[in-house]
Order: sequence, then C-alpha cells, then structure tokens
Amino acid sequence: MNEELDSQLSAMFDGELPQSECELLARRLSRDEQLKARWGRYAVIGASIRSERGVRLNADLALRVNAVIANEPNIAVRHVERKATRGTARWVRPVAGVGVAAGVAALSILWMRSQALNDEVVTAAVATPAVENTSAESDNSYVVPRPSPRSSRVPATQLANYVVAHSEFSSPVARRNLLSAFMTGETGTTGTSNGSEEGSEDLNDDAKNPAQ
Amino acid sequence: MSADVSDLSLVRRVQRGDKGAFDALVLKYQHKLVKLVMRYVRNPAEAEDIAQEAFIKAYRALPQFRGDSAFYTWLYRIAINSAKNAVVSRDRSPIDYELDRHNPDESYDMQGRMKDSETPEGLVMTDEIRSTVNAAIEALPEDLRTAIVLRELEGLSYEEIAAAMDCPVGTVRSRIFRAREAIDRRLREVFEGGLGRAEELG
Repeated sequence: MNEELDSQLSAMFDGELPQSECELLARRLSRDEQLKARWGRYAVIGASIRSERGVRLNADLALRVNAVIANEPNIAVRHVERKATRGTARWVRPVAGVGVAAGVAALSILWMRSQALNDEVVTAAVATPAVENTSAESDNSYVVPRPSPRSSRVPATQLANYVVAHSEFSSPVARRNLLSAFMTGETGTTGTSNGSEEGSEDLNDDAKNPAQ
Repeated sequence: MSADVSDLSLVRRVQRGDKGAFDALVLKYQHKLVKLVMRYVRNPAEAEDIAQEAFIKAYRALPQFRGDSAFYTWLYRIAINSAKNAVVSRDRSPIDYELDRHNPDESYDMQGRMKDSETPEGLVMTDEIRSTVNAAIEALPEDLRTAIVLRELEGLSYEEIAAAMDCPVGTVRSRIFRAREAIDRRLREVFEGGLGRAEELG
C-alpha cells in the first residue's frame, strides 16, 4: 500500500481532503478491505485517545450492522422505485379520481332507473289486483297489500307507545303534553291527507278484506 | 474543510447503492455513537444494540438525506431518538417494575450491575488497546504527538493546528498521518500477535 494513499486516507478521516480527492478515495475505500481495516483502526486510535469506553478492534457492532445491511434491499433501487411510484402516482391519482366519480355517477343513474322501474311495477301491481279483485272476488284469493307510501313515517301511536314505555325518564306533565301532541298530530295528519292518500287507504282496505 | 465533505462522499456512494461505503461510515462513527447512547443507557451491550439500530435506521432513511446538515449530526439525532425510545420502553417493562416493587435492594443492585456489565474479555480488550495506544503516543516524537493529540483530543482542524504549531497545513497533515501510522503499527503488532503483548512491547 503506498504512503500517499494512506496519507490521503488519514486526511479524509479528518475531513481535510479536497472534495475531488474524496470522491475517488471514497470509491476505493468502499471496495478495498485492507484500506477499510486501516480506516477502522484510525477510528479506534481516536477513541482510545479520547478514552472512550468499549473500544475494540474488529468491533462486533460494525460486523452486525454489516450483516443486517447485506440482507437489506439496495437503497438505490428502492429510491428509484419510490421515485417511479411517485411519478406514476402523479398522473394515476387524478385519473383514478375521475374514474371513481364516473363510476359513482353511473351507479346513481342505474339505481335511479331501477327505482323508476320499480315504481312502475308497483303501480301496475296495485292497479292489476283491483281489476283481478273485482273479477275474481269469489275465488277466495287475496291480494298482497301494496306497500304504503307512508311506511317510512313512524305512526304516532307507535311513538306514544315508546313514550309510555320510557315514561320513567320524563315528568308526568311533559309526558301528557307529548302524548296529546301525538294524538292531535295523528288526527291532523289523517284530516289533512290528500285525495290520493285517501284513495290508497281505500285500496288497502280492499286488500285487507278481499272477501268483502 | 470539515468532516462533511468526506462523509458526504461516502453518503453519496451509499445512496447510489454502494453498501461498502456505509461500512466505512459505521467504522468511523461506531465508538462515538456508543459513547453518545451511553448517556441514556448504562449497559454497554444495550448501548451497542441501540447504536446498531440507529445505524440500520440511518441506512434505511439515507435516500431522504439531502446533506443539508452534516451526516454525523443527522445520525446523532437518530441515535438520540432510538436511545430515548429504548429508555421509555424499558421503563414500561413489567419485569423491571416487579423487581423495583418487590425488592428495592435487588433492583438497586441490578442497576449497579447494569452500569458496569461489560464482559471481562471486553474490558481486557479495551484496556489492552488503550495501553498500546498510550504507549505508542508516549514513544512518538513531540511534534507528532502534539499534532495527533490536538486533532483527536481537542478536535482542532488542520488549519488551527498549523496556527498553534506555527507550521504549514501540509506539515500538520503529514505529522498526523505519521503519528497514526506509528500507533497503528504498534496496534497491529499487538493484535496480530495475540492479547497480552502490549506489556511486552511497552
């Protein structure tokens, strides 16, 4: 090993070598095991002079780190892959966003169409039994009741039952007011219902008593 | 000029996929890092484990290192965080808690032992290296000895040493190199010949 190279190594260890020389020597250092061993001993000498604890030659720590890193994927490859992923993500994200939005819109349209078709079927189904009913009244058959358009609304009586069941959490006066409000509301609803609703009530009545 | 330049050359090589360059960084900073971690944990074996973890974390994070700060400053922060995390998780350990609660004397004794749980072989090795290096330094001509001590113990730059010793920077570089070579020669003689030769040679 030549003296000039060792002198450069010593200066590089101290961070006193010009950058251009550092580049070349770093390359050699990473490949030359003898040079690396000397570099390691320079570190040991410094640590000994500073009386640092646990100073060893061929310390386990460096060997252990080396062993772990030998099994690690190359960070240059990882870096390039990450960059590529980032590059891909840059155009994939907006396209994916548009795709998702288009998909949601298409599903909404399909759902709305199917709902419209269902309504037509229900209307037809409701209309048909009325005819069948009149023609086959004597067959003892019955018609499945049409789903009520108000089914999503909780009936006032059900709410009143709920209030009574949970009466322990309300004062008697409040409970009474609430119950009377439900009853008034139920009456009001029935009273203000429009003609079509009345018509449907009639149809339901027909469905309830098909034999009449 | 600072250590940043040479470290950065090695770091750039690692970032380009040269694992051997990282080995050089580990060899250079392992003692400093263990010493740093031992401010948080007293057990040398635990300190080495934490330092190892810090090096591996640093390696994995190296693609994100841009060189805005010095490599050692960055590594230092990683090691400090690893040491703090290790202390926190050790403090939460139910085994430690049980020891403290049931037998305070035993726990005190454990802590005492943890402070100096270096293996006998390790202690012999450290002493052997230290005595070899000290003997080699004593044997150096005064100008070489002053140069290496100012560099390693006081951390002065070549320019500062040149000013202190009233000589050109090139001479300082040469003196430090020659001092290292003389000490290194003695170290190799001792460790290639086996332990226990330090006294014979000294």
